[in-house]
Amino acid sequence: MIQFDQVSKRYPGGIDALKNLSFTIAAGEMVFLAGHSGAGKSTLLKLVAGIERATAGNVLVNGQNLSKLRASQLPYVRQHIGLVFQDHKILYDRSVLDNVMMPLDIIGYDRREALRRVRAALDKVGLAGKEKTAPIRLSGGEQQRLCIARAVVHRPAILLADEPSANLDRAYALDIMELFKSFHQVGVTVLISAHDETLMEDYGRRILRLREGQFAS
Amino acid sequence: MKHYLYLHWQSARTALAKLVRQPVANLLSLLMLSIALALPISLYLTVSSLQDWIGRLTATPQITLFMEMSAEPADHAAVDATLKAHPKIASYQFVSRAQALADLEARHALAGVAEGLDGNPLPDAFVVTPTSLEPDALERLQKELSGLPMVAEAQFDAHWARRLYGLMALGHHLTLALAVAFAVALVLVTHNTIRMQILARRDEIEVATLIGAPDSFIRRPFLYHACWQGLLAALIAWGLSALFVANANPAIQELARLYNEQVELRGLAPRELALLTAGAIALAAIGARLATRQHLRQLAPR
Repeated sequence: MIQFDQVSKRYPGGIDALKNLSFTIAAGEMVFLAGHSGAGKSTLLKLVAGIERATAGNVLVNGQNLSKLRASQLPYVRQHIGLVFQDHKILYDRSVLDNVMMPLDIIGYDRREALRRVRAALDKVGLAGKEKTAPIRLSGGEQQRLCIARAVVHRPAILLADEPSANLDRAYALDIMELFKSFHQVGVTVLISAHDETLMEDYGRRILRLREGQFAS
Repeated sequence: MKHYLYLHWQSARTALAKLVRQPVANLLSLLMLSIALALPISLYLTVSSLQDWIGRLTATPQITLFMEMSAEPADHAAVDATLKAHPKIASYQFVSRAQALADLEARHALAGVAEGLDGNPLPDAFVVTPTSLEPDALERLQKELSGLPMVAEAQFDAHWARRLYGLMALGHHLTLALAVAFAVALVLVTHNTIRMQILARRDEIEVATLIGAPDSFIRRPFLYHACWQGLLAALIAWGLSALFVANANPAIQELARLYNEQVELRGLAPRELALLTAGAIALAAIGARLATRQHLRQLAPR
């Protein structure tokens, strides 16, 4: 599902975020990405999502070589990926419902079908009944759930989460992890990054450990 | 295809709703755009109305060929043949000296004046109506005709026509220059309004891009906003120009009456209004397109 083939990413100014990285994640797999901040976790996720492009090497996602795609094609790759951000990236000028609706608007769903899916997604993350609430009134954990609902509402094949539990206390963080596990159980390929490895070890999944842009042995 | 149309319909509707929801802020830029459009339109209407009138005035500029007194009927026939074959002459008429004298007597109540004269002092003449109204062409024709054999003189006062024509050309150039200047202004004003909107909706654009919105999706609402703005600006400008015509007409008619003339400013014809509307929408779309392109380029993945 996700394959990195000798991928490097160098930012302007000569900072090497990723150095010659190769790995494969099979369809339906749930994988953790560990490492200190600055180790290249976010960069790796951005390359998978086509938000940034590799300086060298090939990034294959869902059978497509992102390194060879034109920039105008990348958004359509992203439409098959769910993204969960550490800082949520929720829009506060609209309701919970409208936030979750966004991916469906972009793909262009029929309004009624879209509403049905939004309700289902909100129900799934435990925000049912808060459709009309302003996101600013939600707690940190609830905002993260809202972000997850938006990431899965269009039923992506791949779910990427960048430090989803970074700012949450342990109980909330475990809740979120359980949520990801449930998506994994219905066949979604899940890649979660975190700097706190204790959360991951309970799950017994594969862990990719990054250190200074390379896999730590 | 249906889905594509649906997306467009959605954007167009949302853009209009947003425009209506912030009436004060949008009204200001709308007024700015409409005034920018209304100025050249009003000038255009003035110039073209005056031109219609001048066209009527000079619809039949004529050149009169006076023959030598000694001209024979054979000479008349030669001139007649030349005039008949000339491509720049629409029509002509022969006025014999006897007829001219009769006309003179009849028209000016100078009956009996011929009796006091020693014979008929008037020459035979041809009254020529040229095809072109352009002063240069008229003058060339006049020179050419005066060179015909046995033609004493080809009379035509080109100076007033030339002056009037020059004035109208100036009006035309002024209108064109103003129109170009204000077209550029329209693009710039739209560019600026759209840029402000993009800045105001920066977060939304960022999130939409992150979750897979293609450039066209980001661009669409702004393009529609600009198009609506262009349409409304064109309609308001139409209203303003109609207001101008209604206000200016009494004064112009008053002035024209002094010269025993009927001059009236006209409003925009339906075809012109359609052209104005299409033009305003197109220019606004160009402005929006430039603004979004600039911004989307900053967001492109590196």
